[in-house]
Amino acid sequence: MKEKEHAAPSRIPPRARLPLPPPGDGATYLTYRTDLAKVRALVLQQATAAGLSESRANDLVLAVSEVAANTLRHTDSAGILTIWLEAGEVVCEIQDEGTITDPLAGQRKPGPDADGGHGLWLVYQVCDLVELRSDEAGTAVRMHMEIGLPAS
Amino acid sequence: MDLLTTSVATGDSDGGPYTLVALAGEADVTNSGALRELLDAEVAKEPRTLVIDLSELRFMDSSALHVVLRANRTMDRQGGVLALAGPRDPVAKMLRLTAADQLLPVYASVAEATAE
Repeated sequence: MKEKEHAAPSRIPPRARLPLPPPGDGATYLTYRTDLAKVRALVLQQATAAGLSESRANDLVLAVSEVAANTLRHTDSAGILTIWLEAGEVVCEIQDEGTITDPLAGQRKPGPDADGGHGLWLVYQVCDLVELRSDEAGTAVRMHMEIGLPAS
Repeated sequence: MDLLTTSVATGDSDGGPYTLVALAGEADVTNSGALRELLDAEVAKEPRTLVIDLSELRFMDSSALHVVLRANRTMDRQGGVLALAGPRDPVAKMLRLTAADQLLPVYASVAEATAE
């Protein structure tokens, strides 16, 4: 076994930096400023219609609400919610003009009494897959929930 | 109609006097400031026991949770007890995932919360 085969990669794999592919057909869009209740209601309606269990639909509502709340917490911009079905999943994407600079955002469990940071961490806990792209132009967080999986 | 409505009452039980704050609707970042003001005011009265009734709360996010934890820290310093009562499934799950349920007691009902 040659040493070189196990050398650490010198850069992030290119696919991880590609922009996210566009949403599927028949996507639903909602622009929000402060009306998070409307964001949650739309996610609940679409997730339930797609066949997510009540528990998992509520998980997705929490996740999307937390990301949308970050738009209010950290930016002055409006945000866009996009919801669509793809390959047996319900997908929700939140886009806003904020920038997340911490590459580990949401991936470190905050202490229960921590002053902040629970929001994005919860998203990673409840969603089946989270894709995040962020640069100076803005941030997109794409949350996937597979239809037909049991509650966790 | 307000997204979050609150009510405050005081009571007495075998466990002693208590303040009961009931939340109804949805608690998120947009109303967490108002929730903080309310809890600050009640905690400032230095109750021995403060119970937050969550049975009519459909949704709670991390901003609302932080407000509750902040009140809990103050109650702790004051030698009082803050307890949550009757969370619905989505809220109970959030409390569990964040381990908030290890920082303060969570009871199935107000009756149980005020019994001690």
